[in-house]
Amino acid sequence: MAFLEVENLVKEFIVTKKKEGLRGAVSSLFHPEKFKVRAVDDISFNIEQGEIVGFIGPNGAGKSTTVKMMTGILHPTMGSVKINGISPHKNRKAIVGKLGVVFGQRTQLYWDLRLGETFELLKRIYRIDDKMYKDNIKMLDEVLNITEIIDTPVRQLSLGQRMRGDLAAAMLHSPTMLFLDEPTIGLDIEAKHSIRNFIKQINERCGTTVILTTHDLGDVEQLCKRLIVINHGKIVEDGPLNSIIERMAPHRYLVVELASPHQNLFHPYAEVVKTETLRVWFKFDKSRIAATELISDLSKTYPIRDVSVKEPDIEDMIREIYKKPVIS
Amino acid sequence: MLENIKYYTSVALYYFKLSLQKQFEYPAMIISCVFMIPMMYGTGILLLYFMVHNFQPLGGWSFPQLAFLFGIGYLSHGLMMVFSVQNWWIESYVLRGEFDRMLLRPISVFFQFTVTYINFIGLVDVMVGLTIFLYSCKLINFVWSLHNIITIALVIIGGVLIRSSIFTIFCSVAFWTKRSESLFLLLNDMMERTTQYPMTIYPYFVQFILTFIVPIAFISFYPACEILGKDGRIVFPLGISVYTPIIGIVMFILAIMFFNLGLKKYESAGS
Repeated sequence: MAFLEVENLVKEFIVTKKKEGLRGAVSSLFHPEKFKVRAVDDISFNIEQGEIVGFIGPNGAGKSTTVKMMTGILHPTMGSVKINGISPHKNRKAIVGKLGVVFGQRTQLYWDLRLGETFELLKRIYRIDDKMYKDNIKMLDEVLNITEIIDTPVRQLSLGQRMRGDLAAAMLHSPTMLFLDEPTIGLDIEAKHSIRNFIKQINERCGTTVILTTHDLGDVEQLCKRLIVINHGKIVEDGPLNSIIERMAPHRYLVVELASPHQNLFHPYAEVVKTETLRVWFKFDKSRIAATELISDLSKTYPIRDVSVKEPDIEDMIREIYKKPVIS
Repeated sequence: MLENIKYYTSVALYYFKLSLQKQFEYPAMIISCVFMIPMMYGTGILLLYFMVHNFQPLGGWSFPQLAFLFGIGYLSHGLMMVFSVQNWWIESYVLRGEFDRMLLRPISVFFQFTVTYINFIGLVDVMVGLTIFLYSCKLINFVWSLHNIITIALVIIGGVLIRSSIFTIFCSVAFWTKRSESLFLLLNDMMERTTQYPMTIYPYFVQFILTFIVPIAFISFYPACEILGKDGRIVFPLGISVYTPIIGIVMFILAIMFFNLGLKKYESAGS
């Protein structure tokens, strides 16, 4: 049994269409035009303990709705979620104590009070005993430098510091699973780095399972071994990042710089896609020919000064996935 | 059981502490408090003055009796303002998705919602109510026996429970409709007009509704009838003031059930 099981999850919202103008407003009052919108459309996946899973998709794809259903905030229209075999909808209190949740756009910290006050409140709510509290603060200090900001009122913290505070608040009760909804949104490079480092650390040290939604592909590249791509409420890709890249973009480019101009360059397994005076771009399939082989073949016949291999751009690849029509 | 009571108390007390700290975080708040305390008494006395000079006997009730009725009603109103004014904002909690965080914590959402805010400004209303109540007690020669003190205390606690439960139920409609403000305004007006005057001035069917459907009449009217020996039109077996705390508790349980039912319909807010 997987640690988190999501089965045929569906969430429908009823949206009322508003008509234009005063006449429209009156007519909407008597004959409201209602229709159903499927924000999440029959998705299923399992997540094992200790995984870091990236959950990506364009705005409005259904990421946040899915996260809210997994954490028990929203009730699914159909389907089920089970964490450790327990449904957060039927038995909320039994399971949410084992979850940590951070919404990047929304803090759970008391705005006007020092950061430590929120921690003290959480200590009481989660029944954290003194020893565990002390140990966790110590651990969080090592990875997030939390004692440096614990006495500052939250409203005076920078966005990066506030995010550190929010992550620490979510980890105080040692959750086995951490949900992070856009944790790096709006942060500078340094802050992003420290958040990513934190996620890696707690995953290694505490074995915490992490589910991460993000628009930042740097997060995905550096943290996630597994990627779930969701679009129009459906899962369009699910698997290790590498294999998705392999499948989506099996081609590499070899850029060859020639010592002297040369016409009609040719190789049976590579295709010339672009030529500038001394530079030539070869497109090749990694599974048909290795880059080294191609280089040695070419250097035998042509005067080559320099070569470089271009990896596919993840961003382009993700854009391709987003553009793919969903077959329903 | 004892462990649970200890747990809920420690959480509630910490919430209260944070509420207090939050409201005192801004110096303007402290300054206004310094002015507020004399103002509390001032308003109460001023209100009394107007009442003494403008109130005519109403529906067979003399001024001291009316003041007594008003005092009981206003005291429970003030206490409700302190402890459960956030019921009024269920609508905006729903619209802004503020229940998300509460749903993520391993403790009852209704409990968190109840203790999350203590409105210290509501003490102004409590002081006004207390002043009028004590003054009217003097006028009607209220006997401060242990029995009477317990009766009054139970009536006021029951009144607070009935008031806040009614608001919880009506404002929880926002879970389904997203809006409950107009309902709340109507209710607020209705409550103000029906707890401060004897029910006997209204037609019988109004009293019937306010007794058996929305039990507002138990907040101040029936208890005052009993204590003052007035005719309340509808006769109940046993002392009527026993009903107020019982109805309070029943209403409170109903309110929790209705709130939780609404919470299942909660749709959070887009981010």
